[in-house]
Amino acid sequence: MITLQDQGIIQVNNSCKACDHCTFICPTQAISGKIGQKHKINQKICINCGQCLINCPFGAIDDISMVDKVKEALADPEKFVVVQEAPAVRVALGEEFGLAPGTNVKTKMYTALRLLGFDKVYDTEFAADLTIMEEGTELIQRVYNALGVEGFEQAGPLPQFTSCCPAWIKYAEDKYPHILPHISSAKSPQQMFGAVAKTYAAEQLNIDPAKMVVVSVMPCTAKKYECNRPEFIASGYKDVDFVLTTRELAQLIKENNIDFLNLEDGSADKFIGLSTGAATIFGVTGGVMEAALRTAYEILSEKTLDKIEFKAVRGTEPVREATIEIPVKTLGKKLPVNVCVVTGLKHVDNVINDVLAGRSKYHFIEVMNCPGGCINGGGQPIRRDTY
Amino acid sequence: MSVFIEKEGITRRQFFKGAGLITVTAIVAGVFAKIGIDMFKASNAYIEQRISGLYTLDEKMTLRKSHENPEILKLYKDFLSPGDVKPLSEKAHHLLHTKYGNDIPQLIAELKNHQHNAA
Repeated sequence: MITLQDQGIIQVNNSCKACDHCTFICPTQAISGKIGQKHKINQKICINCGQCLINCPFGAIDDISMVDKVKEALADPEKFVVVQEAPAVRVALGEEFGLAPGTNVKTKMYTALRLLGFDKVYDTEFAADLTIMEEGTELIQRVYNALGVEGFEQAGPLPQFTSCCPAWIKYAEDKYPHILPHISSAKSPQQMFGAVAKTYAAEQLNIDPAKMVVVSVMPCTAKKYECNRPEFIASGYKDVDFVLTTRELAQLIKENNIDFLNLEDGSADKFIGLSTGAATIFGVTGGVMEAALRTAYEILSEKTLDKIEFKAVRGTEPVREATIEIPVKTLGKKLPVNVCVVTGLKHVDNVINDVLAGRSKYHFIEVMNCPGGCINGGGQPIRRDTY
Repeated sequence: MSVFIEKEGITRRQFFKGAGLITVTAIVAGVFAKIGIDMFKASNAYIEQRISGLYTLDEKMTLRKSHENPEILKLYKDFLSPGDVKPLSEKAHHLLHTKYGNDIPQLIAELKNHQHNAA
């Protein structure tokens, strides 16, 4: 049986003009082809990030679509279909309807999803908050272990890498298996949401999880790969059933003749739909780091932050680093935490080699494959007007 | 026999001709370079705009820290670590954590075994 894993998410179609642009974009050199011939993607090393897709000047690269399966589930009265949307979707979806990039259409998006027939509209940002709780606690344990505090011997080694980006995870598994113990064991927000929806939410709503279908709207093509990985069955079912990209959601809204720009404001459903600002910035490079720092600082110091923005980790430089002094109450001293933010996998190799050689001074490293973070992901609206 | 000897240096006329040519070339090149630079900048402007869109949204939120999300606290108290807010509890570990690379087959076996015991 050919699975999605073997088939690959990203494929070259017949419009390919062999211009070689994508081979320079690809972070893993997975695309190759001779002059004048249709290019090929090596699915073994392709990390499904879709950067080639959004940068192709001829629209010659496609991603696998799950739109038909989502439509089928929505039309089936037996199924209870819930939806989650990633933070980066809400500032880019408007572009498909003529709004400027960065326009926040969060409330209209909730209403549109209800009109499309989803039974409950939740938010991936809720799961992003959950990720911070788990990943942040894991980081604190690793730091305690490195400091020799008793009772934390089970914690993994430092530095800890983030685990939210499925393209980065595949890259590490393919190329740097020795770095895997350094990656946080916390699942990505998408998968956490699926696991919680089919257990906790199903229990609260009194619904059979076998009838529940979890759909996620993502700015990302690698999330389609992630949701099909065989190990994500913690709820007893496939945790996340289908993934739509931002572009595919816009296409669904247009097909259903929904007047998106004049929709009323909506809000997410309760139980697993409430979100915070820390989760919103997950979609930007440095956002996971900043969200984790906000929580780790307050938990470790047992004080409230006066200024919750950590501007030092913001920006669009490919590799950024900062040192944050956190007064740890239980240890009674100030702990300097060295953090690093990488955006664009082309720049991660040096950081990894330093860690493997034991000369890395960092405690926590955020890695996102797409330059700028998820807001520039492979599932986002394509901006051909900029060529 | 008279030999035409060219004067040393350049005449005033030749100077204006050369200087004019260089100036025009520089202006034309500059204009094209400017167009190129603008296009290059514009091709990435949308990234900055989307980034600032998310940061503005964060500033507008009333809750801005993950551990203050009441639904998260409720999830821990009711479900993941009954009666307490304790990340990395046994249930949290089962539902919210994973393994990578060669450890995956073992994890799948564990999860299937867990379902078997639950059923």
